Amino acid sequence: MTADLTMIMVALVVLTLSAVFSFKFRALGLIGAIIALLIGLTTCPFHFGIFIFVIAVINLLSLCALDGGIKGVDYGLVGLMGLATMYIFTTNDFAMVLAALVLVSVPTYILVMLRDGRANVEVGVKYITFMVLATVLFLVGAIILVYTANVFNEYLYVLGYVMLVLGLCLEIGVAPFHEWVPDVFASADPIPISIIASLAKIVPFVAALWILVATANDMTASLSLFTAVLAAISMFVGNIGALTSKEHARVLGYSTVANMGYLLTCLVVVANPEYLYLALTGGLLLLFSNAAGKIGFFNAIKEKGAYSLLMFILAFSFIGIPPLMGFWGKLFILLSLAEMEYFWLVGIVVINSAISIPYYIRLANELGVSWELNLTNIICVAAVILIMVTVLFVPVEWFSTHMAAMAHTVGIAL
Amino acid sequence: MSMLVLLLLPLIAAFIAPLLKPKAATYLSSITFLLPFFAIIGCMFYGCPAKIHLMTFSAPIGEFYLQLDMISHAFGLTICIVSAMIALYALPYMTHRFEEMELNVEREFRKYIFIFDLYAASMLWLVYSGNLVLLYVFLELMLITAFLLIYTYGYGNRKWVGLLYLLWCAVAGVLTLGGIVILAFDNSSLAFDVLMASGTVSMIAWAFIFFGMIIELPVLGPHIWLPWAHAEAPTPVSALLSPLTVGLAGYVLLRVALIDYSFIEEYRIPILIYAIISSIYGGFSVFKQTDFKRLLAYSTMSQMGYMLVALCLGPFGLIGLVIQYMSHAFGKSILFSSAGGVIVTHHGLRDITKMGGLHDSIPQISNAAVLGFLNLGGMLTIGMLGEFFILRGVVETFGISMASLPILLAVIFMFILSVWYGFYTIKKVFYGKPKDTKRLEISSYLYLPLYIIGIISVLLLFPPLSTALIDGLNAISGLGLGGVMP
Repeated sequence: MTADLTMIMVALVVLTLSAVFSFKFRALGLIGAIIALLIGLTTCPFHFGIFIFVIAVINLLSLCALDGGIKGVDYGLVGLMGLATMYIFTTNDFAMVLAALVLVSVPTYILVMLRDGRANVEVGVKYITFMVLATVLFLVGAIILVYTANVFNEYLYVLGYVMLVLGLCLEIGVAPFHEWVPDVFASADPIPISIIASLAKIVPFVAALWILVATANDMTASLSLFTAVLAAISMFVGNIGALTSKEHARVLGYSTVANMGYLLTCLVVVANPEYLYLALTGGLLLLFSNAAGKIGFFNAIKEKGAYSLLMFILAFSFIGIPPLMGFWGKLFILLSLAEMEYFWLVGIVVINSAISIPYYIRLANELGVSWELNLTNIICVAAVILIMVTVLFVPVEWFSTHMAAMAHTVGIAL
Repeated sequence: MSMLVLLLLPLIAAFIAPLLKPKAATYLSSITFLLPFFAIIGCMFYGCPAKIHLMTFSAPIGEFYLQLDMISHAFGLTICIVSAMIALYALPYMTHRFEEMELNVEREFRKYIFIFDLYAASMLWLVYSGNLVLLYVFLELMLITAFLLIYTYGYGNRKWVGLLYLLWCAVAGVLTLGGIVILAFDNSSLAFDVLMASGTVSMIAWAFIFFGMIIELPVLGPHIWLPWAHAEAPTPVSALLSPLTVGLAGYVLLRVALIDYSFIEEYRIPILIYAIISSIYGGFSVFKQTDFKRLLAYSTMSQMGYMLVALCLGPFGLIGLVIQYMSHAFGKSILFSSAGGVIVTHHGLRDITKMGGLHDSIPQISNAAVLGFLNLGGMLTIGMLGEFFILRGVVETFGISMASLPILLAVIFMFILSVWYGFYTIKKVFYGKPKDTKRLEISSYLYLPLYIIGIISVLLLFPPLSTALIDGLNAISGLGLGGVMP
């Protein structure tokens, strides 16, 4: 454990130095961030560390397309988010889990304001207001939950559970707390949004799962219904919103709302740790496929289109066509829901993956252009390779067996 | 193990064919489907291992394996021969289509042959999948490849039609997935051998799968997508979509029925009546159509009604379902291809009111179409066996009495209707007063493959092929003589 912490410290030093010197040589920021992530990768179990690494590196590369005011430091911020995401899988220290959450959240406050030229303060204010509220709710909820694990009080437990879940919903954009998502997504620059929609979503989910699993008690099963209803609302609001929106970034914003609804369903499993590995596998695969898809689409929006075949593959992954990664995410989530006997939620997930089809196909159709060799297409190829690793079936099994082993050790020390 | 390699060939061909020139790619695709076809025939006579292990997933997904029983062989050999022949047929047809769309023929053919091969191979793998998740993977792959073919090369408002097709079939697919997930919860494995051993499919799982698959089949009601998709798809795609793809919904239902027949027993009469009404509605709708391909699409709906009827009729009906799939596939692939032949030779002609007497100008295609309708009508081809088993199913299930007479008569009327609209169409399109008696030059790719399919459909009626097939099917527990009389 201390060796891991030392490596993370080393990575942080590399990151800070490269960010400082990037004022002189911009490329240094990018190189330093990649080196720091490589160091971070050694601390994290390889089978999902590699996914986080790839997503973070694609995010870093996509930043090259942007000429913001803090060119160089932005690489450092994304590197920091990547490191925090990797670290949350190795730690079971409550303080560190919360620290990772804050470390992933705060860099996005700055990133969201980036655009070519001057900072986009208007979007920043809107985003930061919601995020601060979300983070505070989450932190307070988490602390109350941990307190009730030691000194049980059922009212406090309900309060803590609800605050934590609401904080999570605001943070990742689950309806009906999704107001900021389509607005911010549509008015900010696509590149920082691609980071907010991909890398920044992993930690809040994992942190919430860790804390809820560790503090679960007899009341959790009945409280899960609250989460399940929120998830169901989010899926419908997201998909119907996306179906009726025209602007690409707004469609993707609503698509995020819908995807976070699918993700939230994973939380119903905390009442029964036996099936946690199914939810964990499903949730992470969904997050990774969502991340890859969002990066591809937002980069395509930035450059007014990318190669149409790549766009279609990303769309099919979102729809959940096997054997792409999006399908496996949904399948494992559905399996965990069936094991928890939430059959009505299975039905809702199933209906929602069907009604999402038209807007993803429309998106792929409108963003698809013919092939040319540029940064956007390279990024999209990388994203497509990421979601296609599951075509071989073996990585899925590999992933789920590791998750089964991991599910026994997750949570936090109380 | 050799069977695994042979089944892998079409999948591999999908990745190699785009590197070749159109003609070579076509032959490669066709041969890679013919090789497994002959291997399957070999399996029917000399037997082969019943199961090929692929990999093991942790619970609740279970083992992935290839299932090589006579049901899979019956579907597999149909898919192989039809895909091989349609691949050949598609060479002049798609060339014509690309020229019509003002695209670069050689470049587009690369894209097209990749998707086409993947489409056909996914159907082949679907019927050999020994795990419901593997089956679902190929079900969706088949759906998405067919969608791409319609979306990029279809006629008319192809994008809208493609989306319509995708949407309906995706709803069908995800409903089925819901059922599969519940099955996984009940049995903690999705491998067929484990499911067969447990022998229980809960009513809710059955309902999910049943409603999913009757959308895909489709029956009256959810059939809205079918005439559009079949009519506007490029003809080689129609010639796989209608004969092979939709019927695979019947295959999935058959597999689930073999695990647990209780759902069908419980709701036998309503399903049967619905299926008969659906089939007769489809049959009568044929007479109203003016577009040749739409006409054939309604005939597909009528024929898929047969399959659903067969599903309700106990062990003999289930054999009838398998054979009905084969005969419909042979017949309808010939018919769609002949509709395509008319389109190519008569500059996009699809309107029946402007046809008539085409036998004089394209006798090769006209004669093939007659062969196709013989299959649908169940005359002198394997379709005859299918109708025999369905009727035997009616008798075995309901007995011979005044009470069972209405059902027997309804089923017989359903059969007669097919023959009726068959002759009506032949007369309307190919006979009657010719508008132009000049013999047209026509590429042999456009009709020779059709005769090969026709010959196979006739050969399958006679021993030794028919006896090997029927004996093999009877040997499977739950089917025919291997089934317990309900």
